[in-house]
Amino acid sequence: MKTMEVKVQRYLPEQHSEPQVECFSVPYDDSTSVLDALNYIKEEQDSSLSYRWSCRMAICGSCGFMINGEPKLGCKVFLRDYAAAGTVLIEPLAHFPVERDLIVDLEQFMQHLDAIQPYIIKDSANGVTEMMPHRQTPAQMDKYQQFAACINCGLCYSACPQFGLNPEFIGPGALALAHRYNLDSRDEGQAERMPLISADEGAWSCTFVGYCSDVCPQQVDPAAAVNQAKVLSAQDMVMQLFRRNK
Amino acid sequence: MSYKPVLGRTWWLKNPAFKAYMLREATVLPLTFFILCMLAGIYSLLRGEASWLNWVAVMGNPLVLALNALALLASLYHAATFFVLFPRVMPIRLGDKKVPDNLIVAGQWAGVAGVFVLASWIFWGVL
Repeated sequence: MKTMEVKVQRYLPEQHSEPQVECFSVPYDDSTSVLDALNYIKEEQDSSLSYRWSCRMAICGSCGFMINGEPKLGCKVFLRDYAAAGTVLIEPLAHFPVERDLIVDLEQFMQHLDAIQPYIIKDSANGVTEMMPHRQTPAQMDKYQQFAACINCGLCYSACPQFGLNPEFIGPGALALAHRYNLDSRDEGQAERMPLISADEGAWSCTFVGYCSDVCPQQVDPAAAVNQAKVLSAQDMVMQLFRRNK
Repeated sequence: MSYKPVLGRTWWLKNPAFKAYMLREATVLPLTFFILCMLAGIYSLLRGEASWLNWVAVMGNPLVLALNALALLASLYHAATFFVLFPRVMPIRLGDKKVPDNLIVAGQWAGVAGVFVLASWIFWGVL
């Protein structure tokens, strides 16, 4: 079996004041994912290594790391992809505070996600309490479906320099979800979400770097969603002007 | 105690995607030069013939020509990046059908070609 040098950024707060890189030699074949390599290191070489993972099939969104500087899901890339480079460096997701080894504190992302109300909002008059079915045509579903595949992995936040520079920025993932619900024909919450989307830390903080869409493992295209939200926000601003002038 | 990494000023040098982004944003620099040239041209036109002829002479300077050629290339590069982004930001629907992205991109380039033809027709003989 071939082996590869796997470098892992370690940070044990009780021992280190700053993160440091540790090297491990990992045997691999064509089916060894980066996550498998971490599991091998933890089981065979150093049980103190900490990282998040769960499903191993790019659905749970837990195993996001910076792999050779790019945000990726550990289960979705393989050591064979780095055979030419001969080495692979695994670091925690960029732009988030590091708690321990590869575990980052996603609190900021969770707060932004919560703030944009990522669920269907209905006026109470015809809300779910009446147990009415909310029908939707395929054409209506087609409008938001692309943005509905988000698995909250946070890779887009690590790809976003604007979030890295200002963690108050609502960010690609949460804004894409806000847009997904605004586009949903069953939703009536756009007016509630608009003030946050139009705020300084909302869609207008995005400068369309576009890298968030490149790294998204679900092809959500958050950059498109954020910039479509800018169009909505601009329309909303004009509407507000007319309303005020009445 | 968590460790908070700080984004340094050279963050954009660490990733090819960020370098391409900064290149796109930097196209504003030669374009600013072009716009200043245009404004100076309009101003010299107002001030009379001598001033205008002087401006025309300055525009013929090889360095000015090179910078304006750079501005043209920069605007074409910016247009190329923008045209690709456009259908993602403003998806166009005809009835229930989405207009294909590459058709929108081709349409925008057709618009650029149209402007070039129109400008050539207007300024042919003048230049």
